[in-house]
Amino acid sequence: MRHALIGAMMALAAALVLSTVTAGQAARPQGAQAKSPWVYYPLDTIVGDGGPAPKRDLSGTWAGPGSTDAIPRGAAAERPSLTPLGQQVMSQRKPIGRFGPAGTNDPSARFCDPLGFPLNFIYQNRAMSVSAMPNRVVFLLQFGGFWREVWTDGRPLPAKVGGDDRDSLDPTYMGYSVGRWEDDYNFVIDTTGLDERTWVLRDGTPHSVMAHVQERWTRVDRNTMKVSMTIDDPKMFTRPFSLGTYYYRWVPNQKINEWLCVPSETLKYLQEQGDPAGSYPDAESQRPGGGGRGR
Amino acid sequence: MRSRSVLVAVGVDGEGMTMNMRAHVFVPIVAGLLAMGAPLSAHHGDAAYAATPKEMKGCVVTEFSWMNPHSLIKFDYKTATGELQHWTMEIGSPPSMALLGWSRTTLRAGDVITAYVYQAKSGVAVGRTNKVILADGTVLADRDDSTPSRYGTTEAPK
Repeated sequence: MRHALIGAMMALAAALVLSTVTAGQAARPQGAQAKSPWVYYPLDTIVGDGGPAPKRDLSGTWAGPGSTDAIPRGAAAERPSLTPLGQQVMSQRKPIGRFGPAGTNDPSARFCDPLGFPLNFIYQNRAMSVSAMPNRVVFLLQFGGFWREVWTDGRPLPAKVGGDDRDSLDPTYMGYSVGRWEDDYNFVIDTTGLDERTWVLRDGTPHSVMAHVQERWTRVDRNTMKVSMTIDDPKMFTRPFSLGTYYYRWVPNQKINEWLCVPSETLKYLQEQGDPAGSYPDAESQRPGGGGRGR
Repeated sequence: MRSRSVLVAVGVDGEGMTMNMRAHVFVPIVAGLLAMGAPLSAHHGDAAYAATPKEMKGCVVTEFSWMNPHSLIKFDYKTATGELQHWTMEIGSPPSMALLGWSRTTLRAGDVITAYVYQAKSGVAVGRTNKVILADGTVLADRDDSTPSRYGTTEAPK
């Protein structure tokens, strides 16, 4: 059933993608060698803006931050101001940037647990496809092979998630999302009901299940899209703060590659490399530049 | 010499190319990278590794695992005193390393390489890769985020 749903969504995404390819989205010439339609060419970046943005349309396959250096840099997330509870939870977190693979308790680094939303869009937003159905917009994420539904049928966000009431919904890794077109080029998404096991940022910043994340997706032009995100969670933060702005560019052949976190591979990595190297949380990093991209 | 597909990821199909042609395309990229003078290779938890790379010549590859989160290169290295050491060193994830010309078929068991490794402070024979020089002279590097863009503009659209 689940595979059937995934297949149906992928087929729909492919159809929509093909329907939106236009002459304006020309790829950078890369020589006379024939290319395979089955291969993602990360250096084959789109040129120019491709003309005006289509109205109320995010569909297609997009390369995000980290997929190539050709993606424009946006703004980084702000530093949160934590409540006492937020500080207490944060004190238990051992981020990989300081503790390394051997000493971290980041569940995604140790066990391949899903990054969840919003971290999957902040830390591993390298590429994705977007597809519009009649009553929702679906995001198909490259990293982890996850998908996310954003309902556009006018329903409100759930009021109760993760509570003890019998009508309280289960928390989910991607949360519950509703979206609306604010105008022809700005799609605003509100999300809540996020599984508290996920970290908001790679440093371990926590959130509660009823945290509210708002995204503003802007179709800048035909070849460019960006998203700005904010989070509000009075339980963990003293005030809302920005989770950053991230750019996406059209993928010329609309093909991206598979990028999964495979538990057996992670276990091999930790056993044979990460753990033997040890953890030095109080030592200065030996070389600058590490940690930002999370390769 | 058997074909390597390290150039596929830089937008050049390796089929039918001579080694010289491959070097013509690939070497300038890596040379430019090295010329930056920026420290190469870094990820999370860098404090566990030495600040300067160790050079090891005549390493014999025993295993190349092209995998997430980081690929692993295993090799045997014989020290000056004749001790045989079994090393493991990591590079980045396959999608990231593909940007630098690496591929699933870059290394195979039996290949002889020169390895430049940031060894773990714990003293075990594991490390992070600075660069690898293949038997044909091809240089393959790891890198970090401080390396300036080599693939295009990073300016945000107005």
